[in-house]
Amino acid sequence: MSAHQESSSAAGQRHRHEGPKNHYLSYIVSIILTMLAFAAVIYGDLNRAFLLWFLVILALAQVIFQLAYWMHMKDRGHTYPILFLAMGFVTALTAVAAAVYWMWW
Amino acid sequence: MSTAHHAAGALPHEPEKATLEGKNKILGFWFFLGGETVLFGTLFATFIALRNQVPEGPTAQELFNLSTVALSTFILLTSSLTSVLATMALHRHKLNALLGWMAVTVLFGLAFLGLEIYEFTEYVSEGHTFTSSAFSTSFYTLVGFHGGHVLFGVIWITLLILQGMKKGLTVVTAPKFYVAGLYWHFIDVVWVFIFTVVYLMGKVG
Repeated sequence: MSAHQESSSAAGQRHRHEGPKNHYLSYIVSIILTMLAFAAVIYGDLNRAFLLWFLVILALAQVIFQLAYWMHMKDRGHTYPILFLAMGFVTALTAVAAAVYWMWW
Repeated sequence: MSTAHHAAGALPHEPEKATLEGKNKILGFWFFLGGETVLFGTLFATFIALRNQVPEGPTAQELFNLSTVALSTFILLTSSLTSVLATMALHRHKLNALLGWMAVTVLFGLAFLGLEIYEFTEYVSEGHTFTSSAFSTSFYTLVGFHGGHVLFGVIWITLLILQGMKKGLTVVTAPKFYVAGLYWHFIDVVWVFIFTVVYLMGKVG
């Protein structure tokens, strides 16, 4: 009985979960993007506006990777989670834009 | 494979989504994370608006030590990987691996907290206290709120490990582990924005 359970669940996983490869990949991508961001600030001799946007883009890229793989958002049945987080993000971005507009202009 | 821990017969492949209650817990948790996004968004908005308001006390450029921040970032990023390995063990019904990876995640979380406490005491000794400027207040509120989330996660996951040792892996306990993993990843996602917006952009000026 237990041998049957093991073999059936092992066979089931093979086509349901792709294994840890993507998670390790996502970790390596996150490390690389993080190191790139730190290096750009510490060693980079870049134009200030360009550097700020570069940092934002690196952060967004890393977050998208983590949401997709580590939080399984790329998997099926994640329409509502994507909707919830996107609404939260739009509201958060509105708050940031409003605060920046009021304080800096 | 620890079939002895299975409650009744074989567990389904994704035990956290096997019951309607489990599915609803996960959906509800995503709704909560949407709210958390707004919460941190407003704290970020306040910080970004006030980050250059430093009438007295050190500025961000004078204050921040990027090597400490890089170490914290590395610790939290690695803890996010170990918590996804815990979720993978959950899907493979390996209770011991699940609890082990959860425990490693907690240890990384504690290391992160220790480093943050050290960092904050350094800042206070350099004159960067909660009330010294609008920059310092919004800094401690944002970064401290994140640290509070890490502390909550450490306590929550520790209790889950204890419950998992007692009750094993069932369709009732599986959603709890899965949701705790989501929470921990979310903490790491928030940290990505913190090290970018607060520390790196603070250094840039």
